[in-house]
Amino acid sequence: MAVPKRKQSRANTHARRSQWKATPATLVKTIEGGKTVYSLPHRAKVVEDSAGTALYMEYKGRKVADI
Amino acid sequence: MPKPTKGARLGGGPAHERLLLANMAGQLFTYKSIKTTETKAKRLRPVAERLVTFAKRGDLHSRRRVLSILRNKETTHVLFSEVAPLVELREGGYTRITKLGFRKGDNASMVQIELVLEPVTPKTKKSSSKAAAAAPASTEALLEEPAEELTTSDEAIIEATTEAPDADNAAETTEADAEAAFSDEAPADDAAADEAKK
Repeated sequence: MAVPKRKQSRANTHARRSQWKATPATLVKTIEGGKTVYSLPHRAKVVEDSAGTALYMEYKGRKVADI
Repeated sequence: MPKPTKGARLGGGPAHERLLLANMAGQLFTYKSIKTTETKAKRLRPVAERLVTFAKRGDLHSRRRVLSILRNKETTHVLFSEVAPLVELREGGYTRITKLGFRKGDNASMVQIELVLEPVTPKTKKSSSKAAAAAPASTEALLEEPAEELTTSDEAIIEATTEAPDADNAAETTEADAEAAFSDEAPADDAAADEAKK
């Protein structure tokens, strides 16, 4: 089994980790009831009642699945 | 014929994938809609639709071929007796995949794959709506353009031939002129008008 000969410096570790970057998610902008909403494309949405309780999943105006 | 899948199989190997997809297809036909991961659903779709095609044929040979895949007489019976009549008029596209969200444990994209059992209407509906959308536009265009043409050509005719014994003859000539003038647009408009008539 290969074994590291030397301890890796903090500088090297941090330099490597500085390249880990998050990519922004591609969102679609829709206007629902006067409010601008950003959401993932082609994905069912949760329908909530006025109290904020989740009811069911909806996609293109069709009830898709329960939660 | 579904395109062969490249790359690694689902599960442990080819045999495992066959069994897995067969089980999922059986569950799909039994429950009409199942929740699974996106990867599995996309692999399942061609398998399930091929089985539905066999079921639509409905003879004993196809039943035996389905049975050799599903390995379950009850599920096969459900497929042949319940699902097949409902998709009789549908020409492919027997399943629908809707993305739901991401699984908590591994962030896998979860979907719902379901059988499309609604009666088939969209083709005629679409064409009629298109025709309806196209027809008013084309009729308006037809009405507007000849009208303009009529006014201009009427004046021209009146100026040219002040005799103009019958209004009918004048109208006919103007129509002919209009058709001749708009011969470029005529095929599309005629086609649209034909569709509207049909």
